[in-house]
Order: sequence, then C-alpha cells, then structure tokens
Amino acid sequence: MTLEFTEFRVTTRVVAGWGLTASLDVELTRAGLERGLAVTDPGVRPLAERLLSAAPHHLIGLHDAVTPNSEVGQVERLAERARETDARFLLAVGGGSVIDTAKAAAIVLTEGGRLLDHQGVNVLTRPLFPVVAVPTTAGTGSEVTCYAVIRDASAAAKVIFTSEWLAPALAILDPALTLGLPPALTASTGMDALTHAVEAYLSNRAGPFSDAPALAALETICRHLPQAVGDGSDREARWHLLIASCQAGMAISWAMLGCAHALAHACGGLREVPHGVGNAILLPHCLEYNRPAVEARWWTLADAMGADPVKGVAALARRIGLPERLREVGVAEADLEPLAEAAILDGSIFTNPREATVEELVQILRAAY
Amino acid sequence: MAVFARTEDVYAAIGALFEWGSQDEELGPKIGKSGLTIRFIYHRPDAEITVDAKAAAPGGRHFAVHCGPSDLKADVTMEMDSDIAHTFWFGKMNLMTALARGQMKAVGPIQSILKLLPAIKPAYRKYPEIARSLGLPGGEA
Repeated sequence: MTLEFTEFRVTTRVVAGWGLTASLDVELTRAGLERGLAVTDPGVRPLAERLLSAAPHHLIGLHDAVTPNSEVGQVERLAERARETDARFLLAVGGGSVIDTAKAAAIVLTEGGRLLDHQGVNVLTRPLFPVVAVPTTAGTGSEVTCYAVIRDASAAAKVIFTSEWLAPALAILDPALTLGLPPALTASTGMDALTHAVEAYLSNRAGPFSDAPALAALETICRHLPQAVGDGSDREARWHLLIASCQAGMAISWAMLGCAHALAHACGGLREVPHGVGNAILLPHCLEYNRPAVEARWWTLADAMGADPVKGVAALARRIGLPERLREVGVAEADLEPLAEAAILDGSIFTNPREATVEELVQILRAAY
Repeated sequence: MAVFARTEDVYAAIGALFEWGSQDEELGPKIGKSGLTIRFIYHRPDAEITVDAKAAAPGGRHFAVHCGPSDLKADVTMEMDSDIAHTFWFGKMNLMTALARGQMKAVGPIQSILKLLPAIKPAYRKYPEIARSLGLPGGEA
C-alpha cells in the first residue's frame, strides 16, 4: 500500500520512570520552567500536593477545580487564575479532563479571547503557554496528543480542539501515581487507550509511523489490563499500561480516531457517559461495522490482540467488569437518533475507515443499546 | 504558473461554481438545509466568496452567493490560496490532507462543513467544465 501523504511527530518530550515525580524539580529545571500552577481535580489533590512539595521552587500554587468532562467555563476560569497568579506554565496532574483543561487554557492564555473563538484547524499558529502533563490514569494519552476535548454545556456537546501546538511541552510518566486507581477507573481508562490503539490502526489516515505504536500499545494493553484491574498494586502491569496509553496517544496524534470515539463523545456530551466506558461498549459494534472496509488489516489486529477483534474486545470489557449496554449507563432509547446526529459532526468520524451515515450510526447505537 | 491572474478570474470560475450549485437540485438543497454561512478567503490573487444558507436566497436559489467582501457573520471561514481551491474543486486534493499540511485554514466548527463533503461531490464534476470553458489548466495537485 502506498500513501498520498503521511507524517508523524511527537513534539512532547516524554520521560518515564517508577517514582520519577519525586524528583519533579529535576525535570522542570531541565525544561527551564518556573512559576508553575498545578492543575488537578479534587480526587487527585493529594497526589498533586505531593508534586508541589517535590518542586517547591518551581510551583506557585494549586488549582483543583477541574471536574470530569470539564467544560468551557472551567477552562476560562483556570486561565484567569493563571493570569492572576502570574503563572508561567501549567502542571496538569490528573486524567484526560485535567490535562485537556490545561491544554485548552493554554490557548486562552496565549491567544486571549474566549475559548470557543479558537475552534478550527490551523487556527493556532504559534507555540502555546507551556503545559507539563503528569497523567495519573493510563488511558487518555493526552500527555502527548495535539487534541483537547472540552464539553460545551450550552450545546450539550464536546468540542475538539486540534493543533500541533496543543501537545504538552513535557510529559512525565510515573506509574507509581496510578497505583491507587480503583479497578473501575483502571478498566475504563484502559479501554479508552485500547480504543485509541484500535481506531488509530484502522483509521483512514493510518500510516507506517502510527501503526507501530498503535500495535505495540494494543498488544500491551490486552496483556496487562486484566492484571492491573485485578491487582491494582501490580507494578509491572501499571508500568506497561502507562507506557502503552502514551504510545496509543502518539498513534492517534497523526492517525486520529473513528466512529467509536465519535459516538462516545456524543454519549459523553448528551448523557455524561464516562468516555472509556462509552468506548468499551461501542467499540465491538463499531469494529463489526467497519470490518468490510478494513479486511486487509483485520488479521494483524487479531494477531496483536490474540483474539478475533470483535469478540476479543467484548470479552476483555466483560472480564474487567465494564457495562456492555448503553442502557446500563443512562442512555435512553430516544437518545439514539440525537446521539447519531451529534456523532456525525464529531471530528473523529472523518477518519473512520468507512464513511458512515446517520442511519448507520443509529444501527450501531441500537446494537449497543 | 498561477492559475488565476486576477481576482475577477477567481469569481468567474469558483464564484460561478457556487452560483451553479445554488441552483443545482442535487447539491443545492443539501447546502441550503445546513443553514450555515461559510466564507472562503482566497489569496494570490485575493478574493472572497460568502455562501449564505441562512437567509432566503433570491430567484428560487437554495443559498445566496456573494463574490467580494461581505459584512455577513460567517459560521466557518476557510482560507487558502486560489490555486489550492482550483485543485480542490477539480477533485484532486483531499481536504483532510490539505488541512494537515497547512494548505488550508479553517476557523470555526469545522465539523459542520466536513459534514457537507459528501453533498458537494456533484461540484467535482461541474468545476472541470467551468475551468475548461475559461481556458484554465487542469488542477494539478
């Protein structure tokens, strides 16, 4: 297969090590960063406080007002707080919502105005206010991606910001921070990472440079996710999952995603379905739908997973205790059409290997309902 | 060599394409139903075309087309070189690749116009006819 065009870049410097955040100050000094505002959510605050004490000369305060599915208003409040405190960088300590909130706030801090003024592609043309990402879940990959997904409550929808400048300056992977994750969160975030790997590999933008990290991540997640869910203190499983979720993030930075993410974003926007749970429910049905368009890649995918992809994903989700039906997570039958209408406008749908219609998306949702 | 020498040449080709689309019974209703105002800003030579599907269009058209600067507030603005637009309407340029390579800039909720991509397919058949009638080259990528 030849391609008209492909590209790959990871502009984020990634460092990884067990317990690495205990010497956070060393990494911040290497990066030349001072006066950082730590950003987190209330649940992760104790971890963020540990990081504050690990770099007292580099960090000036803590903003812990981020919630899951963070919204435009939260981003703008964070930017305001950073301005008030004269912060020079943001240290995002948390999962995808926290990191994406910091990345989106960097847009406002650099370009001014309101966040939604900066929607589009190639709108951002210069380096943004620096963000350092310290993921505390192994799922989003946001520590290296050029995306930020923020909920627009006024439209009950998620807005995706895309720019190479959105990739954080530095990602610090310390799997010790993920040791305390409860099994349900380990499971849902792990399935988010797995969906990144699968959709990047099957994307109509997939290329040789994104295939390698996607397949490596997929194989690793299938091998280690059940162990990490079953025994959260398993250091080896935690290490591998954090690395794999970052690799999957690298893969989607170029290859992007597909209809499972488009539908999961819609479910998150309308019914606040946790993103990883939505992906886990929808991915088997999306794979079934996409299979005719990806036959040539299907068996490589199966090899990496060690199972038929459709059955393998469903079995893995079941094994780690995730819901299998949309009706179990607050979606009503009357929501299916509005969800499909929202998903057809989601940026992820445009790299799905099969050009989906609203009617086909409704069928997928019905199958998952 | 540049495809278009003057702003008027852009309007004669791409403006004419949009005018045709506003009356085409396959493409027109789909754009019309979007309810969007989309501005196309071209460079080398500079030109501006606004497609307005918000207000009622004159003369039974499905949307209005304004060639030249307009005060209408756009939902989405697409910006590119005029030659890139020419290649695109010849069907020889993938929009996602053009965006990835920085050959186009999109301001606003880009998804709302990506959704229209399947609807504009008839324009890829029409534009080469218009270009040929004006003696323009064949839209080499």
